[in-house]
Amino acid sequence: MLEDTIIAIATPPGFGGLGIVRISGRRALAVAGRIFEPKSRSAKPFPVRRPVFGTIRDPGGGAGLDEAFLTYFKAPRSYTREDVVELSVHGSPAVLEAILDLGTRTGARLARPGEFTLRAHLNGRLDIIQAEAVDDLIRSVSLTQARISSRQLGGSLSRRVDRLRDKLVGILARIEAGLEFPEEKIRTSPEADGRSLAALADEVERLVASFEAGRVISEGVTLAITGRTNVGKSTLFNALLQEDRAIVTPFPGTTRDFLRERLVLDGIVFHLVDMAGLGRPAHPVEKTGITRGRKIAREADGLLVVLDASRKADPGDAKLLKKFRDRKAMIVLNKADLARKIDLPAVRKEAGSNPVLEVSALKGTNVDRLRTEIRSFFAPGTDRESEIVLHARQRDSLRGILECLRRAQGLLAGRHSGEVYAEEIRSALRLVGEMTGEVRVEEVLDDIFGRFCVGK
Amino acid sequence: MPRGTDFDVIVVGAGHAGCEAAAAACALGLRTSLVTIHLETIAQMSCNPAIGGLAKGHLVREIDALGGLMGLLADETGIQFRLLNRSRGGAVQAPRAQCDKAAYRLAMKKRLEGMPNLTLFQGIVAEVIVTGGTARGVRTVDGAVLRGKTVVLTPGTFLNGTIHIGLRSYPAGRANEPPSVDLAEQLKTLGLGILRLKTGTPMRLDRDTIDWPSFTPQPGDVDPVPFSYRTRTRLENKVLCHFGYTNPETHAVIRRNLDKSPLYGGKIKGIGPRYCPSIEDKVVKFSQRTRHQFFLEPEGIDTTETYINGMSTSLPYEVQREILGTIPGLDKAKILRPAYGIEYDAVSPTELLPTLETRKIARLYLAGQINGTSGYEEAAAQGLMAGINAALAVKKKDPFILRRDEAYIGVLIDDLVSTGVEEPYRLFTSRAESRLLLRIDNADRRLMRYGRELGLIPDGVWQEFMERQDRIGQVMAFLKKTRIRISSGDRVSGFEYLKKPEIGLKDVLEYGKFPFELSDEESRTVESETKYEGYIRKQEREIAKAMKSNSMSIPGGLDFRVIPGLTREALEKLENKRPATLGEAGKLPGVTPAAVQSLALHLEILRKKGLPKAPVPRETGRDDE
Repeated sequence: MLEDTIIAIATPPGFGGLGIVRISGRRALAVAGRIFEPKSRSAKPFPVRRPVFGTIRDPGGGAGLDEAFLTYFKAPRSYTREDVVELSVHGSPAVLEAILDLGTRTGARLARPGEFTLRAHLNGRLDIIQAEAVDDLIRSVSLTQARISSRQLGGSLSRRVDRLRDKLVGILARIEAGLEFPEEKIRTSPEADGRSLAALADEVERLVASFEAGRVISEGVTLAITGRTNVGKSTLFNALLQEDRAIVTPFPGTTRDFLRERLVLDGIVFHLVDMAGLGRPAHPVEKTGITRGRKIAREADGLLVVLDASRKADPGDAKLLKKFRDRKAMIVLNKADLARKIDLPAVRKEAGSNPVLEVSALKGTNVDRLRTEIRSFFAPGTDRESEIVLHARQRDSLRGILECLRRAQGLLAGRHSGEVYAEEIRSALRLVGEMTGEVRVEEVLDDIFGRFCVGK
Repeated sequence: MPRGTDFDVIVVGAGHAGCEAAAAACALGLRTSLVTIHLETIAQMSCNPAIGGLAKGHLVREIDALGGLMGLLADETGIQFRLLNRSRGGAVQAPRAQCDKAAYRLAMKKRLEGMPNLTLFQGIVAEVIVTGGTARGVRTVDGAVLRGKTVVLTPGTFLNGTIHIGLRSYPAGRANEPPSVDLAEQLKTLGLGILRLKTGTPMRLDRDTIDWPSFTPQPGDVDPVPFSYRTRTRLENKVLCHFGYTNPETHAVIRRNLDKSPLYGGKIKGIGPRYCPSIEDKVVKFSQRTRHQFFLEPEGIDTTETYINGMSTSLPYEVQREILGTIPGLDKAKILRPAYGIEYDAVSPTELLPTLETRKIARLYLAGQINGTSGYEEAAAQGLMAGINAALAVKKKDPFILRRDEAYIGVLIDDLVSTGVEEPYRLFTSRAESRLLLRIDNADRRLMRYGRELGLIPDGVWQEFMERQDRIGQVMAFLKKTRIRISSGDRVSGFEYLKKPEIGLKDVLEYGKFPFELSDEESRTVESETKYEGYIRKQEREIAKAMKSNSMSIPGGLDFRVIPGLTREALEKLENKRPATLGEAGKLPGVTPAAVQSLALHLEILRKKGLPKAPVPRETGRDDE
């Protein structure tokens, strides 16, 4: 663990337009040498502590990624007391992440949060830190880790990974059943296994591609803005985005489409979805919208439930609050610019443990506060660097899974015996376990005994 | 002190676990006593008349490589032999043998009687004598007292055993054999965690009343593969097995009578093994199936008793008769022994150290079904390890513990001791992370030197092992040197050529001249080592990495409360169990990988703080941050 060469983004984004990727460890120089091409040949071997200008390039070929300055700090005169290489580039998140990717493919591994500082301490660099402070350091390292690992990945991603896990367990169970109970005539065919593997591998490939396209740094958190008609959802939508995306007219039911926009709050991407009012459709055309709306609300990571504070609550409002009480939802009492007629204590009671906030979307009152609350409620404890790292780590795991599945397919096609391609599937499951929690052998056995009537 | 009552190792129960324990302790030169309820039932196979199969056959080979008896006796008394999964790779091939039950018992008894340091004794043990938290001997129901430096308990299903047939039940450890009640109660008072488990056994039928043409015969192998490295005689198949199927009528009978089943009628609370489901379990869980398979297995050469495998049940006798009536070919069959279910006490194996000694009572070892396992082979493996470790304790030597990557025995004991059981545990090859490394063909390579070091492997056997390795080594070298032109025109090494799934060793050996011929077993080793090579190397690397971090030791007095990020459950487990290494800590349920990492970081810090600081070079100029 401590002998690995680690790589991470050292700077918060937007810091003077520059981003720094730091590599520390035995192979720091080797890794850097593979991904960085100095402009001048004579710059190699890299001098100590003097920036060298060049380009970040994929060793596998292709156009340069970005211009960069490389600075080499030779052990022990570096932050961690190991060999350290720093690459300064323009701070675009896509480039930073791409550099992490190159680094992990050429011999480094993604650093855990705080790992550089930890190494610095372990190597005696930070000898001003007292015992208690060290514990605080470890505490923050492990708590951040715990928070990151328990954070929702973003509803649809974790659902896809869960489905992947289930399917893998099922395939493995079928293969294992055939191996473990040869006398009991389990009908499995390598062709069927091959087809299942192919379908699964394609799915994983699509997942990997969506990471690599770099379209979104992080899947982000999907928030559905829901509420009855004319509570001001679209006004709120616009206010949060500070843009005039939705058509806002005073007549109820005018938001015919689902508008979806990104809202970036302190490094975390939120996908806001504004929906048609949930209420009885006045026009038949709206009905399909409402069904889709329900689906979006169901699949969203979180909800903003908007109520009109200037109206007395009716049974429909109570029903709405009750419906979302067990979800991660924030209750937004809109139209605070008008006289409040809604029963606030009752709303708080109905809301349960979900927070309640009063705003005026129209006037902009408290909208900043709402943004801050959204950030801390729906994405607690994460920061930009961890997001990128987490994201990159997931992509690495998925890539690993894809490789295992492709190898399994190859082995199957090559008529290798079941226990051989079962090994690849077991490897894939170990990687899935890194994302969703360890897959224990009991799960596979459960599947076998649930599916096949075996055992004498 | 009356002469002949002072022993180094006392083994209670002469089942498969007890016999291996006693034999091992004996072979290590210790004065051993094997106490059992009936000397006639030494090594009685309570359930199916077969030894081996997937994972179980692997265990038997490993037991044999450590000098144990099961493999040898299975070969001696086997009446039909099959190597399972012949069409697949070596890692999932396993030997299985139908054995003559009576012959097996007699052969074991004869061997035990012939062992110089071993005293057999018939008695029902009522209590383990414990003073000062240490086991000192046993006392039987009729007052005999035996003193022992160590005690190995292997009571099988006898602890508070209750037999159920339909809604009738009676106390028994096995059909019509008295249970062990006093001992069971004592274990509770000693503070050991007790589980209530259940298992069952099917009917025995009279061979002469079965219409054999109604069933499909299943012959043994043409070239039987022996279990034991010591077997010299050529094995012979003496019997045929047969199989048949139940039908919808059978299932209807079962369903009609479910209320008379002790489990479905609610009388039994014990948890049964899903790996060994009763026929009523099968019919209920898989109600859409129109037939379930069963096997008819002879219990011996000189008996008409036939075991019907796959029809374990605890339905009443009349229903059992009715069931038979629905199956063509069995409708006239006579039941010699009815099927029954049995509930029994077991001790939660998390009470044990990896040596199978209990944590709470020193010098008390538990092995076999008492630890919540099912299967003769699982029992024998534990018995062997418990016997060896009891002996080593007496000799004041280091204990003998096998790792998960070394042997299925290691997987078995580690699963039991680290994770515990909720239902009777059965070994499967999928429980082994290193499945491709743990094969029947390399049990000797993995374990025989341990057996030799312990003193359990005689010279002749060791010599043959060395010669085997030599031959295998020569063939492997030849494979790597030889160049073969393949169909595409390229030349590859014999090694690469053999990796192809359709190529066998014979195809490659044509290219060379050897002064010797490899045995089938040796060929299998060469083929497996070659075909699995990539995976073997990968697994070895991973094992090395894991061992390094796992072996990080935890100082004895460490206060786990100072480690941040631990859940309350993890903290409790760590404080209770006091694991000695990081690896042990990680195995405790509730101690997550994140907790292990916190622990590792903390240990690393402690370690660094303990070292004198190296002189720090004076830094001139600004170091960053």
